[in-house]
Order: sequence, then C-alpha cells, then structure tokens
Amino acid sequence: MRSEEVLYMFPDAMRRRFEKVAEQADKLQEIRLRVNVPPTALIDNREWFVDWEGSLVDMPPCGADNRPEELELLLKHLCQYSIYAFADEIRQGFMTIQGGHRIGLAGQVILEEDNRIRNLKYIRYLNIRMAHEIKGVSDSILQKLYHKSGEVCNTLLISPPGCGKTTMLRDIIRNVSNGTRYGTGKNVSVVDERSEIAGSYLGIAQNDVGIRTDVLDGCPKREGMMMLIRAMAPQVLAVDELGSEEDLQALSLASGCGCKLIATIHGASLQEIGNKKYMRHVIEDRLFERYLVLKKQNGCCVVEGIYDKEGVRC
Amino acid sequence: MLKLAGILCILAGCMGWGAGKIGEERRRVWHLREVIRIMKRIQSEMVYGKHTLPEICLILAEYSAVPYQTCFMEIYEQTKQRDGSCLTKSWQRQMGQCMRDIPLVGEEKEILVNLPCNLGMSEETQQADGIAQSMDLLERRCRQAEDEYAGKSKMIFSVSLLTGIFLTILVL
Repeated sequence: MRSEEVLYMFPDAMRRRFEKVAEQADKLQEIRLRVNVPPTALIDNREWFVDWEGSLVDMPPCGADNRPEELELLLKHLCQYSIYAFADEIRQGFMTIQGGHRIGLAGQVILEEDNRIRNLKYIRYLNIRMAHEIKGVSDSILQKLYHKSGEVCNTLLISPPGCGKTTMLRDIIRNVSNGTRYGTGKNVSVVDERSEIAGSYLGIAQNDVGIRTDVLDGCPKREGMMMLIRAMAPQVLAVDELGSEEDLQALSLASGCGCKLIATIHGASLQEIGNKKYMRHVIEDRLFERYLVLKKQNGCCVVEGIYDKEGVRC
Repeated sequence: MLKLAGILCILAGCMGWGAGKIGEERRRVWHLREVIRIMKRIQSEMVYGKHTLPEICLILAEYSAVPYQTCFMEIYEQTKQRDGSCLTKSWQRQMGQCMRDIPLVGEEKEILVNLPCNLGMSEETQQADGIAQSMDLLERRCRQAEDEYAGKSKMIFSVSLLTGIFLTILVL
C-alpha cells in the first residue's frame, strides 16, 4: 500500500499529523482515534502514539488529544461528505471506504421502539483497519485446494479476526480466476457484502481479483449468491464471513447448483466451528472438502493447517 | 437627417434595454426550472442510487446544462484530486461563482449553493425530505415567475417604448 493512500483518508487539516504514520504504510495495520486521547497506530504489531507533530512515541503525549470536531471532520471526509450514503453501514458500526479499508465506529446508539439500532450519533471512536492486498500469499497452499482433475475444492477459511482471512481469500480468488498450474482459470463470482474483497469504487474493483471474476458489491450474501448463480453462471462462488444460518442455507443451495464454494468464517479451529449450532450439519454433510485454518504466530499470520472433509490434516 | 438618426438611436436603445429586461425574466424562469431539475436529480440519486456527493456531481456534469454542467465537473475534478480539501467549501465556492450572474434572488441561489451544508447525519430518505422542502419553495417561485412573465414582458416593452418616445420628445 502506498503512503498517499493512507494520507488520502484524512482531511487536509489532519494530514501533516499522520505523515509519519503514512510512511509506514506497508506495515500499518490500524489507526485508532478516540475522543480526548491521542491517536494510536498499530504498525508491525506494535502500538505507537501519534503526538501533535506527527511523531510516533511510546507513551501517550500531552496536548495531542483528538478533539470531537476533528473526529466529525474525519468522518465526513471518509464518507465523502455524504453521511446519508453510509447510513446502513454506520448502523452496523462499520463502513468500508475506497481501497477496501474498514472503519469501525462507536458512539451513542439511537434505538427504534423495538430495540433495533436506528443510527449512531456522537461518533467519537474510529478504528481504521487497513486492507492489505498481498499477492502470492496463497501460492504455497494452492495445490491442496485443487482436486487432481483440476477442479477447485469447496474450501472454508477459518481464522480469528485480524489473521488475514480476507487477504488469503482475495488471493485464492485471484489465482483460481487467473488459473494456476493445478487448474485452468475459472469464472469466479464474488458476493462482496462489505466491499472488502474487491474494494470496489464506482463499481470498479480496486484490488486484483483476477481476470475471470465478477463482483456483486454491497449485496447481502444470501440474496447475492442466488442472484449470481442465476445471472453469471459461475464455476466458483466466493463469499466472506459466513455468520448466520441463512448464509449456510444459501451456500448449500449454491453447492447444489454445481458451483464450487470458497468462503471464510470467524473461528480459532475446526473443532470450534463444529461446535457452532448452525455449522454442525454443514460439517456433518461434508459440504466443504477443505478447511484452511489460519492463526497468528509471533505477530505473523500463518497457515495452521489444511484439513480434508473428514477433518484429517492434508 | 441627424435628428432622425438620433431619434432612431434613442428608440433602439430604449427598446434594447426593454428586450434585455424581458430576456432576464425569461432566463430567470429557465434557471429556476433547471435548478428544480437538478434538485430532483440529486434527490433521486440520493434515495435510489445512494450515490455520494462526488458521484452525484459526476452524473450532473453529464446531464445538466451549462453553466451548471461545468460547475459540477469542476467540483468532481476537485474531489478526484484527493487533496483533502473540504467538499462543502469547494461546492460553495464553485457554485457561488457559477450562480453569481444568474438572475435568481439570494434565497433561491442559496438552496443550491448551501446544499451540502444542510445535509445532516440522517439517512437518505430524511435528506430527500429536506430537499423536497427546498424544491417546494423553488417550484412556487417558478410558477409565480411563469405566471408573471407574460404580463411583465408586456409592461417592460411598453415602458421601454414610452421611455424612448418621452426621451425623443425631450430631445426635440
């Protein structure tokens, strides 16, 4: 990632302060801004405070606190001065901006009468999580994701948050779409509900997702999967972050339509996933032929193991 | 001969002034209609397209008439540079310049010039309601201007002609 891309996130009044953070763009993982405390940056798994001059320091500096109006300006800038356009995402507590970077939001919740969240106001806590496109990250494991016939295995990526699930998924999609030595290029359709995989902007994927990939951006997974199967006739269907029984039902339906599936889910291990009520029957039915488990080791994201449909390490 | 030429010049001058005033009224009606059309487009792009303001500027740069077309393109180009400048300020600056010589009154111009400042935190349907209120005012003004146009034109024509005759008499 280029340093300019980090600076673009900030309005001109705040850019000077984040210049040094932006210089570390390649290793930058997240920037946290909280009201009345100095901003912090997580660079190469180490937390730094950003002082008023923009220097990175170990201890919280004095007089470098974020003011509420700064956070409001930043939020407006991130939303391109069109907060209405991000209302649905803000309601869910996060939004995705150009480049696929995810902004986590917290503030005061406004509730509906039935206790559903209507909106967030006084947004005073922002967590900017940088999306990193790492090409080639899946190269070493690709062989195990293909059958000998060249068909792609139904694959589920399992990892806790922040271990590179989406980065791995994006690279697998790119490889499957472009074709590898293990199989020819396939038509891949991606349901990019949170715009994190392709990072589409004005309908154009900002990340490299391959030459045979169609992206349905901002669409709920369940509707998106069926829509793509009907419209785009994909050979492989990819989705990020399965999180409900409905997602799994749609995935089962898609599998029945002859599509190969690549999906991700939050979890620490295959056993933990098996304990989730809605996942149990998916594992028992052997919908997925490969389980790719990622974990963090000494601050680095690594592949913990690849398991077949029986749960045996490949 | 010189007197005749002078009389003709005076009459032509007065009639020209009158024609200019009538043209201004016609331009006022045209601009009111165009601003209403732009506001309607903004409203629908917000609600149905969920487009952000820069995206709306790009759409309007294609579909609106000059001088608004150029103005929206300039705002879009400014945001594309990603220099961190405030969209609200550049919108106000560009739109203010664009509407400086347009025959609309202050309140009517402000609706479009200050549009981004009046967008709040609420979702797109609430924003659309806000825009609808501004459009009501513009539509009322437009209807009024259209109704008055024929009468005003006749009056201006008569006044300019009479002024010319009066000046001619004075000169003679």
